[in-house]
Amino acid sequence: MRDMPSEIFTQLVDAHYAPLFRFALSLTKNSADAGDLTQQTFFIWAKQGHALREESKAKSWLFTTLYREFLRSRRRAERVTALEDLGPVEADPPAPEVDVLTGLDANLVVEALQEVDEAYRIPLTLFYLQDLSYKEIAAMIEAPIGTVMSRLSRGKAQLRTALARKEAGARGKVVPFQKPDTRKLS
Amino acid sequence: MNNAEAKFILQGYRPNGTDAGDETFCAAVEQAGKDPALGEWFARQQAFDRAVSAKLEQVMPPADLRAAILAGGRVTAAGAPRRTWWTHPAWLAAAASLAILLAVSVALWPRSAVAFENFAVADARNSATHGGHGHETGELQATLNNPATPLTGKLPIDYGMLHDKGCRMVQFQGRDVLEICFNRNGVWFHCYIARSADFPRLAISAVPALVELGGAALASWTDGENIIVVVSKTGRKDLQALL
Repeated sequence: MRDMPSEIFTQLVDAHYAPLFRFALSLTKNSADAGDLTQQTFFIWAKQGHALREESKAKSWLFTTLYREFLRSRRRAERVTALEDLGPVEADPPAPEVDVLTGLDANLVVEALQEVDEAYRIPLTLFYLQDLSYKEIAAMIEAPIGTVMSRLSRGKAQLRTALARKEAGARGKVVPFQKPDTRKLS
Repeated sequence: MNNAEAKFILQGYRPNGTDAGDETFCAAVEQAGKDPALGEWFARQQAFDRAVSAKLEQVMPPADLRAAILAGGRVTAAGAPRRTWWTHPAWLAAAASLAILLAVSVALWPRSAVAFENFAVADARNSATHGGHGHETGELQATLNNPATPLTGKLPIDYGMLHDKGCRMVQFQGRDVLEICFNRNGVWFHCYIARSADFPRLAISAVPALVELGGAALASWTDGENIIVVVSKTGRKDLQALL
């Protein structure tokens, strides 16, 4: 951290390591690899003595670096298809009710997210982390804004389907009793 | 813009309301406010997105990850070829103390209410999906509707009662916020009530602060126990008349 005071590094870690880990977890599908990837991202920052001071730029830089490190660590031979050319999105596929979703274990939701195709999962996870806008996501994955929107749409469709499957599976095991929503509207 | 186009755009609207000021979404959000079917779809979509985001936030990194990153950062720095004056242990110790002080200050520093205000305006814009206006809120509803009552006086807010009686609720940062629609002189307003204890670091004053956000206006203040945000989609003038 030759060009950056250690307190800035500490603040940077505290502000971003948790969402970066969650993003890494959705990419790697493995907690140990996600931890390594998160560390690696911060070490690159430390090594380069990155001079960015603006919070929003630092955040984008970290997410982008993590994503690039993930891509680098993977075999280049993996197939990356122009997924936008695939068929139309199923209109609002079945999904568990929000109350049911709220009762689902967080790990099940992460598992469902990990079942989404990678091309959709990356923008979708960033969207749900809520740290980056769609414009920042587009800049990060180097795709046009329309492509990001399209991937979000398709990703959400896949996530709904995966969640419905998880919910059905969970229902077959132990389902915590949910008080029916009796809230009226004001 | 047709509904299919609006839906396509609204997929990218983050559920925490951060995108409320982004003009890309304005027309689509406005359309959702006017078209009941689209509005209902958008409300469902936001509720779903909010629930997924909340779940994701529950995923905690391994307990030792933070310490490993900080230690690794120091090792990385030690491997750097150039040593600057401030890397002397004495300066590092001073910096560490400063870091602790800074961290404590940052943790205790009041947070801006902008996110909450954006959230309230975004929700109010979707009033078509709020599902009508009931009478469950009793005395408070009567007070809010009474044109002779300034809102800045002590409002008869019983959060627990409203919460239990079935007042409409929305979630902001995982906490329940009550929403009551009321009408004065033919103009609808949306009153959001949160417990101050749920948002202890939100910087909201007892004196109403009036701001304009993308054509809407809102006033926010606290009565000590509650945080109150009133949104007017018709602008500042109508809202100012209530205060």
